[in-house]
Amino acid sequence: MLKYILKRIGYSILVLLGVSLIIYFLTRLMPIDFVKNKVVSVQTSGATVTEDMVSKMYESYGLSASSSFGDIMKGYLNWLKDLCKFDLGTSFKFGIPVTEKIAMHMGWSFLVALIATIFEFMIAIPLGITAATHQYSLRDYIVTILVMIGISLPAFFFGNVLKNWLSYQLGWFPDVGIKNATVDYTGLNMIVDYARHLFIPVLTVVILSIGARMRMTRTNMLEVMNSDYIRTARAKGLKESVVINKHAFRNTLIPLVTSLAGLLPSLFSGAIITEQVFDLPGIGNIALQAMQAGDIPFIMGYNMFLAVLSVIGVLLADLMYAIVDPRVKLQ
Amino acid sequence: MDELELKQNDINEAIDTDIPLDKNVRLMSPTQMLLRRFFRSKLSIIGLVMVVGLFLFCFLGPVVYNQWGETERDPVGGVECEEAQVTTYEVDGVTYTVRGIREKPMPYNVKAGISADHLLGTDEMGHDVLTRLMYGGRVSLLVSFMTVILMTILGVIIGGIAGYFGGIADNIIMRLCDILMCLPGVPILMILSAAMDGWVEQQWIEEGMRIYILMFFLTLISWPGIARLVRGQILSLREQEYMVAAEAMGYSTARKIFKHLVPNVMPQLIVQMSLSLGSMILYEATLSYLNMGIKAPYTAWGSMINIITTNQGVLKYYPLIWVPAGVCIVIAVLGFNFVGDGLRDALDPKARR
Repeated sequence: MLKYILKRIGYSILVLLGVSLIIYFLTRLMPIDFVKNKVVSVQTSGATVTEDMVSKMYESYGLSASSSFGDIMKGYLNWLKDLCKFDLGTSFKFGIPVTEKIAMHMGWSFLVALIATIFEFMIAIPLGITAATHQYSLRDYIVTILVMIGISLPAFFFGNVLKNWLSYQLGWFPDVGIKNATVDYTGLNMIVDYARHLFIPVLTVVILSIGARMRMTRTNMLEVMNSDYIRTARAKGLKESVVINKHAFRNTLIPLVTSLAGLLPSLFSGAIITEQVFDLPGIGNIALQAMQAGDIPFIMGYNMFLAVLSVIGVLLADLMYAIVDPRVKLQ
Repeated sequence: MDELELKQNDINEAIDTDIPLDKNVRLMSPTQMLLRRFFRSKLSIIGLVMVVGLFLFCFLGPVVYNQWGETERDPVGGVECEEAQVTTYEVDGVTYTVRGIREKPMPYNVKAGISADHLLGTDEMGHDVLTRLMYGGRVSLLVSFMTVILMTILGVIIGGIAGYFGGIADNIIMRLCDILMCLPGVPILMILSAAMDGWVEQQWIEEGMRIYILMFFLTLISWPGIARLVRGQILSLREQEYMVAAEAMGYSTARKIFKHLVPNVMPQLIVQMSLSLGSMILYEATLSYLNMGIKAPYTAWGSMINIITTNQGVLKYYPLIWVPAGVCIVIAVLGFNFVGDGLRDALDPKARR
């Protein structure tokens, strides 16, 4: 087991190395003059960019040198060296180290994603099970169609429609932001205020993501329902509810728990579009602002951060699979 | 039982009437069977109607509804309303909000409502929304189609090589797949888009090229899904007898891969392509929404919604400008998803009906 984990971690590092290579070379596609202009314009716009930061960036990205292949490789190695020390450079736009900025905002993204995921699982699993146990019935069709519509909705469109309807037309919920800027609530009122602000974003995310989870539950449930031991359970004369809840559902849990483990890291990654629409202080929204300002260190750092999260997700899912399903042997 | 007896009668009749048996049996090719199963599902038909309808709307629509050009602005002067001041009164504990509206004369007929001249009104520049919807749809659909086709070609070639040759080639390709699958989608395109800001500034490319380059890059990083599918199928197919026969016939490697192996992967490939089309339309729309799309006088569905990121008034009071584009995107994605789903069910040998 330990050997397997170590092997997988080593392999993950290789994958990340490849990802870092791609991210670096994409960034190097920028013309150097453009980068220089960008730095100047950020400086004149009043952001705190010191000469030191700029020269350090030029050095670590190898930008000051000419773009011969050797220089680019040297720049990459410099950047990689900093990366290994968890030093992603200093963000132009925000004037603080990128790692610090990411750490500051990923909490909000995690909060929204966590609440959404809890609701998603709570709604999708029962729906998936009823759709599977009543296969080809009207219920199955309705659930399938609704879920398909959910998958097909673009986040930016649906989010704005909900915002327009629930906030501007009906006035039930605040439109943007995470809390009421004019009033400082404390205690329970503060939680209610947060909840009111988070309602529409969470609703958007849940409706968009529920479909995939429901289909997964349905497919797995159907597979389990066709297996021999379910027939045995029925032949024993067990009640249908016991067959479904105790025999079938527990085995459907295997892929669900596995996918949950794979999902956990990605909760930190932030939903760019949803956070932009509702102007939440999550990491995705910050990344979008950084991109619009041409904040190279931040965008590179953010992409690396996302890649690390997805590598950890794959790793966790594989390990979880072995833990939940005793039939799986790790080699 | 009845059915069985009827069939038995048919067979008896066939024998009685001296017609050769094979004339009495309708033979169906696998494609016919597939189509029959596909059209049995109502959802796939609905999906097909949605997709075909949208294509007709975008490509034939401008021929029928040719009152306005793609970039033509309605020159009849109009008025633009904007929120001037908001006052709140409180009378007997009830809060009343009074919104003052200022009318501003405009050189173009902007933000017009539904009328005989403009079936869906005009946008904030005075373009006819319905016309823009048709031309914008051409861009969205074409870009997504090209992306999916390119991605499939890449995936089939690379996956075919990995599956057929195995060994080192397979190893390298699969590791590459792992790396590419770890790349974040939209954020990585953000880097490229930022780089392209520089290219535009240096006048290496035109602004209008941006979305095409972005989507081309997207094909370069999104083939692993297809490649894995092809590889998996080929790994199991190449052990079968007919491949041994192909070997014995002395066919070339390319012929074995592309004439004998790839056609057998085709069904799954078509399903995958149809589902990918939906997601590529979403990708393109999202990029356009984030202002990484096609340049101003021209438009795409996502770009038509982009206006609400900067103009709160349009979001609140002029849903006619941005909602139709969103509806088109939903219809397109939903249509492709229904078709893909229907195809998948039709291809599934385990499906009961």
